[in-house]
Amino acid sequence: MVYVTGVGLVNVDRHYDKSTRRLAFEASTAALESSMAEGVDFIIVASSISYLHEPQLDLASYIASSMGLRGVRSITVECGEASGLAAVMTAKALIDSGQASRVLVVGVDKLSEYPSWRVYKNLSLLYDTESDAFYSIGLGGIAGLLMRLYMNVYNVDRLTLAYWPALMHQNAKANPYAMLRFAITPEKVLEAQPVAEPLTLLDTFPLGDGAAALVLEGKASRGVLAEIVDVESATGYQSIALSDDPLKIESLEVAYGRLVERTGMGSVDVVELHDSFTITGILILETLRFTERGKAAEAVAQGVFSVGGEGPVVNPSGGLKARGHPIGATGVYQVAEVALQLAGEFPGLKVDGARSGLVVSINAMGSSSYVAYMRAVG
Amino acid sequence: MGEWSSARVWRSRVYRYRLIAGRCRSCGRAHYPPANACPYCGSRDLDEVELPRVGRLISYSVVYATPFEDRDRSPVVIGLIDLGIARLVAEVVDVKPGDLRVGDRVEAVFRRIAVDGNTGLIVYGIKFRPVRVG
Repeated sequence: MVYVTGVGLVNVDRHYDKSTRRLAFEASTAALESSMAEGVDFIIVASSISYLHEPQLDLASYIASSMGLRGVRSITVECGEASGLAAVMTAKALIDSGQASRVLVVGVDKLSEYPSWRVYKNLSLLYDTESDAFYSIGLGGIAGLLMRLYMNVYNVDRLTLAYWPALMHQNAKANPYAMLRFAITPEKVLEAQPVAEPLTLLDTFPLGDGAAALVLEGKASRGVLAEIVDVESATGYQSIALSDDPLKIESLEVAYGRLVERTGMGSVDVVELHDSFTITGILILETLRFTERGKAAEAVAQGVFSVGGEGPVVNPSGGLKARGHPIGATGVYQVAEVALQLAGEFPGLKVDGARSGLVVSINAMGSSSYVAYMRAVG
Repeated sequence: MGEWSSARVWRSRVYRYRLIAGRCRSCGRAHYPPANACPYCGSRDLDEVELPRVGRLISYSVVYATPFEDRDRSPVVIGLIDLGIARLVAEVVDVKPGDLRVGDRVEAVFRRIAVDGNTGLIVYGIKFRPVRVG
């Protein structure tokens, strides 16, 4: 049992004036202040693409030193886009084992350091460099071909799929930490410049910098925001080409199955999931069986996952699409956002009365998947 | 891909140049590129099999957001290709993106993959092109 007692978020944006360490410091300071914690046993830093954009090995110890936490125990966690939730899983294991009682988890990454052409190259390394990323898949080559496959297999048109980014932008409007706080129409998604056809620029996340931090504790004290009941994970195929059913994210199905089995969880009120591309969000919804296969895009268009819809509210933050996706930090943002929702304190689109939440973070198209079940306290 | 080293390119020459896949002696399934263990059943009892050079295009994407060294040949077409006993992801060349259709027959061709400007290393491998009719 682990409790979230503090969160700190930096708005996702192009922070040209702030280093990786500065962003981590700002999020961490805010988290520690909000938890009123006096000292932490461990700092766990989740970071992925910083190794290529502001290169530094043993990042966690340097971040700890730069924050004046000399002497603290430190670990860096790198699991690609899923680094943030992997760091939370690591922190929970340390607390559950009794090796730590209070852990600071901070996720940080910068995507605005270089021109987008170079960033796309670095982001392609999230995919397997011995198979798919041997070729010039760029930012969205694999997502693009999965989107075309989805449209063909289920006979879903491009416009129906554009309701996802439109919903994400709508949700992000009220989120002060979101990078893209403006509404778009589904038609606008189709008119945007192509990134990896049939994907357009508005099916992808913006290239922004960010940091998010959590204070996690094993004992419920004052100021608990939410409880992390469990975190589970699984690895998957190295390439979509190995899967007999590439429209299902197998690692996520396994991780979620483990989470359900371990916690006995039922339906949840709020979900923050990994929509790195429109198709990723849709495939996650279907892998979790929130809709039948081939029906998620239509359900999104019908408002099933909007506030007041029949399903759980999905990505009230605006998701990766509109909040932003600072790679290694994203899972930490998601846990912080769900914690704030469950405490009734989320500063953006609120899910009133939310008592339970799910966080889904994956790397690439499911080389690994992480899921967390969270509950309100009191 | 990221940085290239001559040792890395040399290590992978056999399966990169000849479409050599791994085949599991336990479950019988093939996988490309060859791995240390079967991705399906985990067996380490593997041998090798050369994949057919003609297959069918299951899906594709026309990639405009390419890495900077590929800007001059953007857009790049990335395909998911079914070779019967195994599938793989590879670049599709010698075609205007608008002329490509899911279900098209494609064949393997030996092509340049990348040139490392710093070392002069030229990386070769297999891409696919539509099978010419007639």
